[in-house]
Amino acid sequence: MSGSIEVHGLSRVFHTTVRRPGVAGALRSLVNPERVAKHAVSDITFDVAPGELLALLGPNGAGKSTTIKVLTGILTPTSGEVRVAGVVPYQERERNARNIGAVFGQRTQLWWDLPARESFAILRDIYEVPKAEHAARLKEFDELLDLSSFWDTRVRHLSLGQRVRSDLAAALLHDPQVVFLDEPTIGMDVVVKEQVREFLRHQVEQRGRTVLLTTHDMTEVERLAERVVLINHGRLVLDGSLDEIRRRFGSTWQVRATLADAHTDAVALPGIALLRRDGPQVVFGPDGPEAPTVNSALKAIIERYEVTGVAIDEADLEDVMRNAYAQAGAAA
Amino acid sequence: MNALRITWRVTRLNFRAQLEYRAEFLLNVAIGAIWQVSVIVFATVLLARFTGMGGWDSSEVLLIPATRMLAHGLFVLLLGRVHFIGRQIQEGRIDIYLMRPMPVHRQVQLSYFPTNALGDLTVAAGLMVGALSRSELDWSAGRISYLVAAVVGGMLLEAALFTALACASLRFPAADYWSRWLEELLGTFGSYPLNVLPRAVGGFLTYALPLAFVAYLPAAVLTGHGHDTGVPYWLAASAPLVGVLAYLGSRLLWRWSLRHYTGVNG
Repeated sequence: MSGSIEVHGLSRVFHTTVRRPGVAGALRSLVNPERVAKHAVSDITFDVAPGELLALLGPNGAGKSTTIKVLTGILTPTSGEVRVAGVVPYQERERNARNIGAVFGQRTQLWWDLPARESFAILRDIYEVPKAEHAARLKEFDELLDLSSFWDTRVRHLSLGQRVRSDLAAALLHDPQVVFLDEPTIGMDVVVKEQVREFLRHQVEQRGRTVLLTTHDMTEVERLAERVVLINHGRLVLDGSLDEIRRRFGSTWQVRATLADAHTDAVALPGIALLRRDGPQVVFGPDGPEAPTVNSALKAIIERYEVTGVAIDEADLEDVMRNAYAQAGAAA
Repeated sequence: MNALRITWRVTRLNFRAQLEYRAEFLLNVAIGAIWQVSVIVFATVLLARFTGMGGWDSSEVLLIPATRMLAHGLFVLLLGRVHFIGRQIQEGRIDIYLMRPMPVHRQVQLSYFPTNALGDLTVAAGLMVGALSRSELDWSAGRISYLVAAVVGGMLLEAALFTALACASLRFPAADYWSRWLEELLGTFGSYPLNVLPRAVGGFLTYALPLAFVAYLPAAVLTGHGHDTGVPYWLAASAPLVGVLAYLGSRLLWRWSLRHYTGVNG
């Protein structure tokens, strides 16, 4: 399907040598190396629909980058099937390259010694983009990313924010259907981060591009992604909406309600536990895996009791993900 | 056609970029020339102190370093970026090349302009002019054509050796250090008749690490020593073809290696 990403049973195994401790161990490893198979990604299955932005999350070493490398045609999987815009990336590398754009926050695809604009022109030739089309797209990107203020500067002299904005433009100038972003805003200041996020939102909502994003920045996830795939130790832990993630791992909200009548009997509600009571002050919290979201809980509490005031303490997504990683790590 | 246009455009831009750092540019040209100082000293001593070497007279011997240097200069200029590819691997640039609709090998060659090749080629051209002007051979069209083929074959053979090492580096980036050893070996043993060396060493440098085919064997054929090399004459005369075949083989190895590339940092 045009612009879709399909991953079915993807596994990638790397064979490495185990280093034994100490000098004697190192010498033993030299003579008699112990080879082990490291499962970077194990049996992962997920799809991304055309025009959808999916956040692929997980702690360091979870297998995110390996997954992206397979999807971009850099690596061949050990087993499983992958299609990006209908193309098997590692079988038709150059065809896949025409359908995708990619930005790795810590690397650049621009020519280091040339001004960014020269790199754009070279990429136009490589991707055989008609001149008028290229000029129109560059103008659009300039309006969104303010490229013209620095695009005549050599890439080696650009700041990180300028360099990544140039890289974003370079990745999208050939109008790819699918875009891979591996920590695109890492190390950026908040203003540039917001500019980049606005640009990405525009590319998804206005241009209909499919985006697969990896990041450790939970604000970015909240602002951009509706759906999240969480992997850990190479295995898929969860595939769902942000709400689902919060429901499953974000069990740290509390609703503090002040009852109009201090003598009212307060009891637990379905999925909502009564944590403590101090006169008219009652504190509710989630109860079990089927606990409602904080908004639903608040609605249920207000409907059940007459209250004169409420306060909400909700875990932010950072806390939720920390909890998710910890639980996923314990389960692995 | 588009490939040629891109190659020309990127080369032009890379060259212009190098020119903008004037001191760096001149230093790079100079280092290219100075790097060949051992060859220049060898040629000077050969002409000033000796009448010949291993049954070859001085002017004949001079044709060996001249051919090797010219082949080397052209290799550095046209195909030399496979040399020390480990850095591009470590920086993740191979990953980026794999995501573009263009052969990775071509992108490696277009990654920067090798300014030092200008120094190499200046020394090589001077040496070749000197060798030809001292030569008493009849430089017929056939001989000149063979010399040109020998230089191209030598360039391709050197490219084949470094491409094979680059393939090893794709798998084990540390293999890059072998490039230094190979460069040193080519510089040390590539400039004089190999028949002055012990037979085992000569055999190694002919059949195991075929640097004899870069300049020694073609020069032997050109100067009439083709039957005295210990190598069948037909094989010595086929040196340019050996270069072509070795290069084609190395490119097949490159394609295979890229398919098995595992990248860096997982």
